[in-house]
Amino acid sequence: MGRPVLRTEEFVETSVSARFTVDPRNGVPLYLQLIEQIKRAVALGTLASGEQLPTVKALAVDLTINPNTVARAYRELERDRVIETSPGRGSFVRAGGAAAEAQQAGVDVAAGVLSEAVRESRALGIDASGQRVLFERALARWFPSEERDST
Amino acid sequence: MNAIAIDHLTKIYGSQRSVDDLSLTVGEGSVCGLLGPNGAGKSTTFKCLLALARPTSGTVEVAGAPVTPATFQYLGYVPETSALYEKFTVADHLEATRRAYEMFDPARAAELAATFKLDSKKRVGKLSKGQRTALAIVLAFSIRPRIFVLDEPASGLDPMFQRAVLDLIIDAAAGGASILFSSHQIGQVERAADSIAVLKGGKLVLRGDIDTLKGDEKVVEAIFPGDAPSPNGLAQDPRVRRIERNGRILRVHVTGDADGVVRTIDALSPRTIDVLDLSLEDIFLGAVNDGVA
Repeated sequence: MGRPVLRTEEFVETSVSARFTVDPRNGVPLYLQLIEQIKRAVALGTLASGEQLPTVKALAVDLTINPNTVARAYRELERDRVIETSPGRGSFVRAGGAAAEAQQAGVDVAAGVLSEAVRESRALGIDASGQRVLFERALARWFPSEERDST
Repeated sequence: MNAIAIDHLTKIYGSQRSVDDLSLTVGEGSVCGLLGPNGAGKSTTFKCLLALARPTSGTVEVAGAPVTPATFQYLGYVPETSALYEKFTVADHLEATRRAYEMFDPARAAELAATFKLDSKKRVGKLSKGQRTALAIVLAFSIRPRIFVLDEPASGLDPMFQRAVLDLIIDAAAGGASILFSSHQIGQVERAADSIAVLKGGKLVLRGDIDTLKGDEKVVEAIFPGDAPSPNGLAQDPRVRRIERNGRILRVHVTGDADGVVRTIDALSPRTIDVLDLSLEDIFLGAVNDGVA
């Protein structure tokens, strides 16, 4: 048996909605799951600035979720200035606004991860000064060439 | 205007309070999933909505008016025990529906009959329970109603057809229809509905927007080095719904902001503390089991 050969016809264009999935069993509300995925797609550039999003109806049918749930996600994304909707034309990824939003999303994720790490370390009995030493060590590992103030 | 308005509905069968002072509205364009254990009063509620049972007290309204024969021109329904004629074939039912409903769409009916693989020459008497449900669905969706009242629309169907029903509900909702449906499958409700109503013993025990309920309901779970202590004052906190202690594990169910509860428990020096999101299933079970010792 030879290795499977990728034929060109297998590279099909995926629709925008095919890039999103929601998991109803997850405790996170579906509209928040959708917001998170669209923001992430914008941050990673898989949804380009100016790109058109599916209509509420189309995305609801594609994801098999309630259209009001999709509409709620779009409303919040509009309020957060990630997308803009022009009546009669549809919803589009905002130019420019997306970059600031993406940066903020990155900061939020990082803050959450760090907070978790501190909580876990504390549960293991490591006090604040001990954790500071560990944090410095981690910084030195990932930013080896940077000069830092020694305390 | 509400698509469906149930106001202080009570239905008593003999000595049984099947529905007990139920008030519930479904707004225009919204989809409400009706959940509850067997015997909770779901089917009785549907019967009252479809004028198949007379309320003992209270009222039901569809599209702002009491239910009359004219209501059924724009109301699609799937009853639990299908109102189908044993000796009629599938084709006979489609024909009878075409004559009775102004909005009947024959192309749509043919497409749906094919989707559910219904043999048009078969008599209803020869159909399985699942096929009867499928026929009821085909008829309900062929008249392009604005409002749907669906009692267990996927019961007895195989998974592929259950999915088709789910798609139909979502498609109708995307077209602006208002829908009240019951299901035993929470996954279906969670996808198709924007709100849920939970019945227990004929009473409404939980009602709300699904995303809001999921966003609000949390469990703070802490694991202690020894036996979990009983936290002082938490039981009086209005946000705390339930406290469970099981060996070293303390679980506190919170509605709304959990930060205060986290701080209180954290002061007791647990080994770990986590805030867990609840799935709709957890929330449903919580509502049904609340008050059970």
